[in-house]
Amino acid sequence: MTWEAVIGLEAHVQLSTKTKLFSRASTSFGADPNTNVNLVDCGLPGVLPTVNREAFYKAIRFGLAIDATINQTSHFDRKNYFYPDLPKGYQITQMERPIVLGGFVEINVDGIKKIINITRAHLEEDAGKSIHDADPNNSLIDLNRAGTPLLEIVSEPEISSAKEAVAYMKALHQLITFLDVSDGNMSQGSMRCDANVSIRKAGSQELGTRTEIKNINSFRFIEKAINFEIKRQIRVLESGDKIIQETRLYDSVKDETRPMRTKEFANDYRYFPEPDLLPIVISNEEIEEIKNNFPELPKHKKIRYLNDLQLSENDAEILSSTKSLSVIFEELLNTGNNAVLAARWLVGDVSALLNKDQIEIEESKLDAKLISELLKNIENNTISGKIAKEVLEECYQTGASPNSVIESKGLKQITNTNELQSILQDIVNANPEQVNQFKSGKDKLFGYFVGQAMKATQGKGNPELINKILRELLAK
Amino acid sequence: MLANKEITPSELTEESISLAKRYASLNCFNVINEEAAIAQSRNLSFDSNNLLSCIPIAHKDLFCIKDLETTCSSKILEGYKPPYTATVVKNLENAGCITIAKTNMDEFAMGSSNETSYFGNVHNPWLKNHVPGGSSGGAAASVASGIVPLATGTDTGGSIRQPAALCNLTGLKPTYGRISRWGMIAFASSLDQAGPIAHTAKDCAIALDAMTGHDSKDSTSLHLGKTTTLETLEKHTSLTLGIVKEFNGQLSAEMELAFQKSIMTYQSLGYKIKEITLPNIKYSVPTYYVIAPAECSSNLSRFDGVRFGFRSKNIQNLEDLYVKSRSEGFGNEVKRRILIGTYVLSAGYYDAYYKKAQQVRRLIAEDFNSAFKECDLILTPTSPGTTFAFDSKGSKDPTELYLEDLFTIAANLAGIPAISVPQAFVNNLPSGHQLIGPHLSESAILQTAHHFQLNSDWHLKSPSMESFL
Amino acid sequence: MDKQTVRTICYLSRLSLDQNSAQKIESDLDVILSMIDELQEVDTSKIEPMFSPIEQTAIVYDDVISSDNLKEDFLTQAPNSDNNFFKVPKVVE
Repeated sequence: MTWEAVIGLEAHVQLSTKTKLFSRASTSFGADPNTNVNLVDCGLPGVLPTVNREAFYKAIRFGLAIDATINQTSHFDRKNYFYPDLPKGYQITQMERPIVLGGFVEINVDGIKKIINITRAHLEEDAGKSIHDADPNNSLIDLNRAGTPLLEIVSEPEISSAKEAVAYMKALHQLITFLDVSDGNMSQGSMRCDANVSIRKAGSQELGTRTEIKNINSFRFIEKAINFEIKRQIRVLESGDKIIQETRLYDSVKDETRPMRTKEFANDYRYFPEPDLLPIVISNEEIEEIKNNFPELPKHKKIRYLNDLQLSENDAEILSSTKSLSVIFEELLNTGNNAVLAARWLVGDVSALLNKDQIEIEESKLDAKLISELLKNIENNTISGKIAKEVLEECYQTGASPNSVIESKGLKQITNTNELQSILQDIVNANPEQVNQFKSGKDKLFGYFVGQAMKATQGKGNPELINKILRELLAK
Repeated sequence: MLANKEITPSELTEESISLAKRYASLNCFNVINEEAAIAQSRNLSFDSNNLLSCIPIAHKDLFCIKDLETTCSSKILEGYKPPYTATVVKNLENAGCITIAKTNMDEFAMGSSNETSYFGNVHNPWLKNHVPGGSSGGAAASVASGIVPLATGTDTGGSIRQPAALCNLTGLKPTYGRISRWGMIAFASSLDQAGPIAHTAKDCAIALDAMTGHDSKDSTSLHLGKTTTLETLEKHTSLTLGIVKEFNGQLSAEMELAFQKSIMTYQSLGYKIKEITLPNIKYSVPTYYVIAPAECSSNLSRFDGVRFGFRSKNIQNLEDLYVKSRSEGFGNEVKRRILIGTYVLSAGYYDAYYKKAQQVRRLIAEDFNSAFKECDLILTPTSPGTTFAFDSKGSKDPTELYLEDLFTIAANLAGIPAISVPQAFVNNLPSGHQLIGPHLSESAILQTAHHFQLNSDWHLKSPSMESFL
Repeated sequence: MDKQTVRTICYLSRLSLDQNSAQKIESDLDVILSMIDELQEVDTSKIEPMFSPIEQTAIVYDDVISSDNLKEDFLTQAPNSDNNFFKVPKVVE
């Protein structure tokens, strides 16, 4: 029998605001425990929430980008449950009137395009963090994260494989980073997801019983967790058992999902409108303002790179789809670098270095200023492409500026005609046999002379000049 | 007296504190702010342009004051010292008030007799072993006994007005949103409103003008500046007062007589009396007992023994931490209301109870809107009776006590201002009538109450206090 | 209100009722429920709920940090804490 999977994803995206959704405490990552916590975040008696405008604007930007309906009047609800890192005993979220309704995201798996519809996206506050493994008897509570704005993006159950799920999450990731809605840093928890997975007989219209895998925080784990869960459900059904509707956790060490501890009572979140906040109304003018300041989306960027900048298809695709490279590329254009050259270097040598260490450019020692300096040296013939690779690698390792590397290592290209002339004359003089063979028609030997010249100049000779002078000398 | 230099600010503060100690058996205070108040009074110089300058004040023990114990009269907050101060307290201190104590109250403001306090009952200064009303019972007792001239209270369903009536005081519940709720520990967020309790409408006006004003820390705070009710206090015009048809026959003969005397006083001052109808008013008590518990069940979830307040000693695991801390920390009335609130919000009951109540709330609010087309203010009794003996009401049937708020609750549901004004005594005990006005009509309410007080002397009577020495 | 419902709402509220007060509170709840059941007789079919007495919209605030580090204040008030964290009995997931 063949089975098909039905998957819906709830992505939780931390918005890159400076302050929290309902307080003006900092959201900075990595602060000492419980230092980014103010009276509101600590949920002390008597405190009240106040709404962060920027969080709304970011949510709206996302909504506009996926062609969703923006609920210009939205309100917050309380979701009531007890957990030690949930200070108030309720989470402020949007149940009844979310800010974003509908919309869609396009994915591409193995060359096949597919539309994934979005049900809704709503704003809510994140909880704090519980640390369970640092103390033998206690769980430790850090409220720094409590109140950080989240956009929860809920997809329709239209995803049919783990691969599609990953493609969908990557598409979301691309959107939120390009829109500056989130830093998208998955290792810091800026994007995580819950997956609702069920299976049914191929072609069936009925939905099977679903399980929810909670809190998956990398693309790789999304794929593995969903694949495991699909296989598990097939095994259960084929052995004649039933799927239990439950919440499961993915254990990346054992590569399996397992049920969370079940409680005697089902949770009942008792949603009701948050009486401490009035409805939030976004005006038409504000929506217009957001539209006018809309960041360029990857698909539009690519068209511009192809048409206006004459980049190759491959370069345009990579530079338009990776936020970090795209930012650097745009800066290089702004500082007057040649677009094609800059693209070639970013997609080529720079990416190769980054890929080797599996890091993003902002995590490396490279930045736009440094790369621009390197490219300028190539363009004005101070160094050759070959030397440039050496310089880049040195800069990548040490963070030194290209100029200082070129200077200290004496890598400046020899562009002095007289100097080259005398070096090349020596080479011609020292190889009479090869000269004769060349003159008798063995054209390939020209490469031999170039090689000798590079060796003699330690690669610093300007290749064009060497070609020109050699041809003159050998023609004599 | 301050103005005539008959007494210095620190003498006044010390006098107030010594009275508080003398009448300790009233049990109207949870904590006396002795050292800080005396230090503050020595540093302050009297400002004759400022009517609240150096005036001793007592705050209901649900207003957070930095480093001063704030308990809501609950075991769960025993010993809790907030790291910040409520906006109301700051506003009053900026106006010159000196905080001398925190007043006893019903636990988390849930009650109408001050009998649910973890720290014991407060006596009515007019009659020992009788209730001062609630939930701002300590506040009313502290003013009625003459310890302080002014106290803050909060009113969720009548918690300022009813104790004011039972203690022969004037108590104002302003329009919802007039006074910041920042730092005021919430009972029911959409109903709670702070206000003053004092002897006269004039004192209430002075206090109100200091307490009000927009606060950016409270999203439900109105976008309005401070009130200026004192300026307009004397500009009373003879308004039309509505008498609620549906309240006919709800009072004992003696209470009815006292209320009729008030009506006659107003008539003699030129006020027109007109019967009006509030067709849905009879649903205000059930509506309130859905909405208030629902909001409180959620508001009180933060008392979980994790970050502050009481934690049970006897815990093995996280469930214990929650269940034991909360069950040992909260009293029975609070538990009852949390349970009711949880029930009306739970799956399957939300529409039938919570949403339904909010719909009826709109009908009640619309009834008021219609009524205010017929009259300027509405005149009602404040409570069905006078003070009653400890443990005499509600011990068998909790709803018996809930009916204490019959006349007061609707103003909270609609968010409109109302005041309780002392009127003729009934069997030698204080009683009050209530003036309810449309949104933002505090000036008219205070003018009218003031006008009444210029022509009556009930508010001037004070209890003997002998039985509390 | 049946026993199972009482158990469920006690669980959701994280409250337990001791033997003495349980019966009293349960019967009180019944009395209160029958009082609030009076609402069922009102026709509210076309009425919007009124969740707040102020029917205005909220002010929203600029995304600018203004906050003190109150870590010490918070942790010294806590029933159980060390220099960095609030502590609760170990949670098993």
